[in-house]
Amino acid sequence: MSLRRLQAELSHRLAGALALLVLFFSIAWVLIRALGLFGGTGNLPQFIVVTLNGITLAGLYFIVASGFTLIFGLMRVVNMAHGSLYLLGGYLAFRLVQQQALNYWLALVLAAIAIGVVGLLMQQIFLRWNQGQDLRQALITIALSVVLADQMIPLFGAEAVTTTPPSGLGGSIGLGISGVRYPTFRLVVLGLALLIGFGLWFGIKNTRFGMIIRAGVDDRAMTSALGINVQLVFAVTFFIGALLAGLGGVLGGTMIALAPGQDASFLLSSLVVVIVGGMGSLAGAVIGALALGLVDQLSGVYLPTGYTNFSILLTFALLVFVLAVRPTGLFGRR
Amino acid sequence: MTIVRTQRRWGILAVAILGLTVAACGNPSTTTTSSTIKVGILTTCGGPFAAFEQESFSGAKYALVQNAGGHSQGTGPEDGVSGATVAGHPISISFGCSDATPDKALAEARRLIQNVGVDILLGPLSGDEGIAIANYAKQQPNKTFVNGTSGAQQTTLSVKAPNFFRFGGDGAQWLAGLGKYAYNTLKWRNVAILGEDYSYPWTQAAGFIGEFCPAGGKISKRIWIPLGTTDWASAVAQLPSNIDGFLLLTGGTDTVAVEKDYANSGGNLATHMLGGSSVMDPTSFTVGSPLNGLAGGSPVPLGSTDPAWTSYVNGLESVYPATPKGSLAGSLFTGLYYNGMNAIIQGLKQVNGDLSGNQSKFQQALAGLSLSTPNGTVTLDSNRNAIITNYVVQILTQSDGSLGFKTIQTVPNVNQTFNGYFGPTSAPSRDSPSC
Repeated sequence: MSLRRLQAELSHRLAGALALLVLFFSIAWVLIRALGLFGGTGNLPQFIVVTLNGITLAGLYFIVASGFTLIFGLMRVVNMAHGSLYLLGGYLAFRLVQQQALNYWLALVLAAIAIGVVGLLMQQIFLRWNQGQDLRQALITIALSVVLADQMIPLFGAEAVTTTPPSGLGGSIGLGISGVRYPTFRLVVLGLALLIGFGLWFGIKNTRFGMIIRAGVDDRAMTSALGINVQLVFAVTFFIGALLAGLGGVLGGTMIALAPGQDASFLLSSLVVVIVGGMGSLAGAVIGALALGLVDQLSGVYLPTGYTNFSILLTFALLVFVLAVRPTGLFGRR
Repeated sequence: MTIVRTQRRWGILAVAILGLTVAACGNPSTTTTSSTIKVGILTTCGGPFAAFEQESFSGAKYALVQNAGGHSQGTGPEDGVSGATVAGHPISISFGCSDATPDKALAEARRLIQNVGVDILLGPLSGDEGIAIANYAKQQPNKTFVNGTSGAQQTTLSVKAPNFFRFGGDGAQWLAGLGKYAYNTLKWRNVAILGEDYSYPWTQAAGFIGEFCPAGGKISKRIWIPLGTTDWASAVAQLPSNIDGFLLLTGGTDTVAVEKDYANSGGNLATHMLGGSSVMDPTSFTVGSPLNGLAGGSPVPLGSTDPAWTSYVNGLESVYPATPKGSLAGSLFTGLYYNGMNAIIQGLKQVNGDLSGNQSKFQQALAGLSLSTPNGTVTLDSNRNAIITNYVVQILTQSDGSLGFKTIQTVPNVNQTFNGYFGPTSAPSRDSPSC
């Protein structure tokens, strides 16, 4: 091993050790403050609620980012309009539920499918003939995101709107710990995220289509040479990816709110999730979403008093640390 | 390069011809009396307060329609106004679009003043933007700045640019009456404050504290969350369980996120929450029935039956129709941009549109204005900040099932210092004033 390689290896290890140290320190810090160790005043119920907030938010991030990572993994398309699809999906369901008085779950399915179709059209009309030209495709999707963002303002207004959850799920349930109550719908989102995660994992591991996707991720040219209709696979994948963004929008619009600008913020979250987790990896999306959701929620509460306004920065500190240690993300392949 | 050079040559030629024409006219006073007065309107059309663009635009434009003979070119707040004149001077309007950040507001103000060449700037909308623009105003002494709705206290109490006028008052004034309402009517003694982390919510908190704490109340926790946070669930989770209620100081999307999360967690908004002035806005009605009964402070008499207010609401919404009725005019952003533009029109009328002498006559006229507005008569103090009438208002379900407002208390003659409680060196911050 040459001296230079040894140096590189050493600095890599050092970065890894440093990252682990920071992680350990952060967890210890949160626990000390949450449980009131070493003489502080703890607040266990608050810690539980905030952690649940982080996990349920991670569920929402996962639903959105899994579509993003699926499209990237197979097609190498960084879909910068993914956030716009999220917002559009949310708005469609809002219209269907609030104005057409449609059943919530029906609206959810319809909106998600509609966004899948929008994504499919996007891929067929704008991206298909630019296959393999990553930069050009990214630029096209940026252009589409700008157009969509501007068109949604006259169509759906600039005011924040929020979809009413289905009856029975709008309230809260007791957690059985010191009388803490928790919004039911956030738990529903978490449940759906688990369901989708399991469904995607099962589909990719055990079905013929999943096998083709895995083969495509590994070697597109070879898969195509084996006689598989790659174009069809691409189209279906883009449909599913966009559908997941739309589904995320419906759930996000019910759990939080919809407003112009959230397209950009959810695109950013998806990017952070997949960069942390590793582009194209489903397990990476799970870990990335959890890391982002928890950092997002815990940092706002447990940073030292007076520094909580730096919580937004911590999200990016997370990104920097992961990239320093593993440039391809936690589960990414070189 | 060639094209640029050619354009520049044409530009020089055009200026030369224009100069010759003006010189040929010989009489400079003719050009002054009929010259166009350019007014810039600066508001937010992106970021967390994007929703207030429609409101601020409709208010400013309605003032031109009502008092300067302008014609709206459509029924949407975004449609232009043509034909407005004051004392024979045509008024042309230009728009600036910010995202509630001071740097963006400053860039847009610079563009409007230095590139478009506006004489008077109406705006901005948000607190930190206002501090930046007031500082910028000092560098542009020959232009006039009339505040839109930005409500940080420092803007006029410590920065106090001589050419910056605020006819709407500041965020602390907008909560006058609410601290006493919490203490005397609701019998609250222990309160938490949850708000966005910048100058306007801090100023609003100061206004509440200025009444609530001297009366004997206690603020047990202040939670400040960065502007632009998407999920407010953990902010809500930080509210202590032993408080009588909390004061919410947010705007736009953030208000909806907090109200929804608090209501979904089993909280009662009507009995355990009070709203800051931007919370008491029709844009939050998407949250629905949990809002019924929520009270808060506002510089405009939302839902009032006073003839001055109702005729303003009906007048504005006959030009810019809104459903449900009152949902566009019934907002502090609409009302205060309307007042700001009216002040500009009144000031210009008093000096016959004469902006000569670095606008000094016009600025004197503005400083001495006694402006009658739908929210009461407004005069300015020596720092050119308004002495206002403030209101405690409540969101109530109307007979048709939709949400609306009701004015429940009127507080006259609210000045910026709360009769000496605030001063130029005691700028509100995260933990100041103490309680």
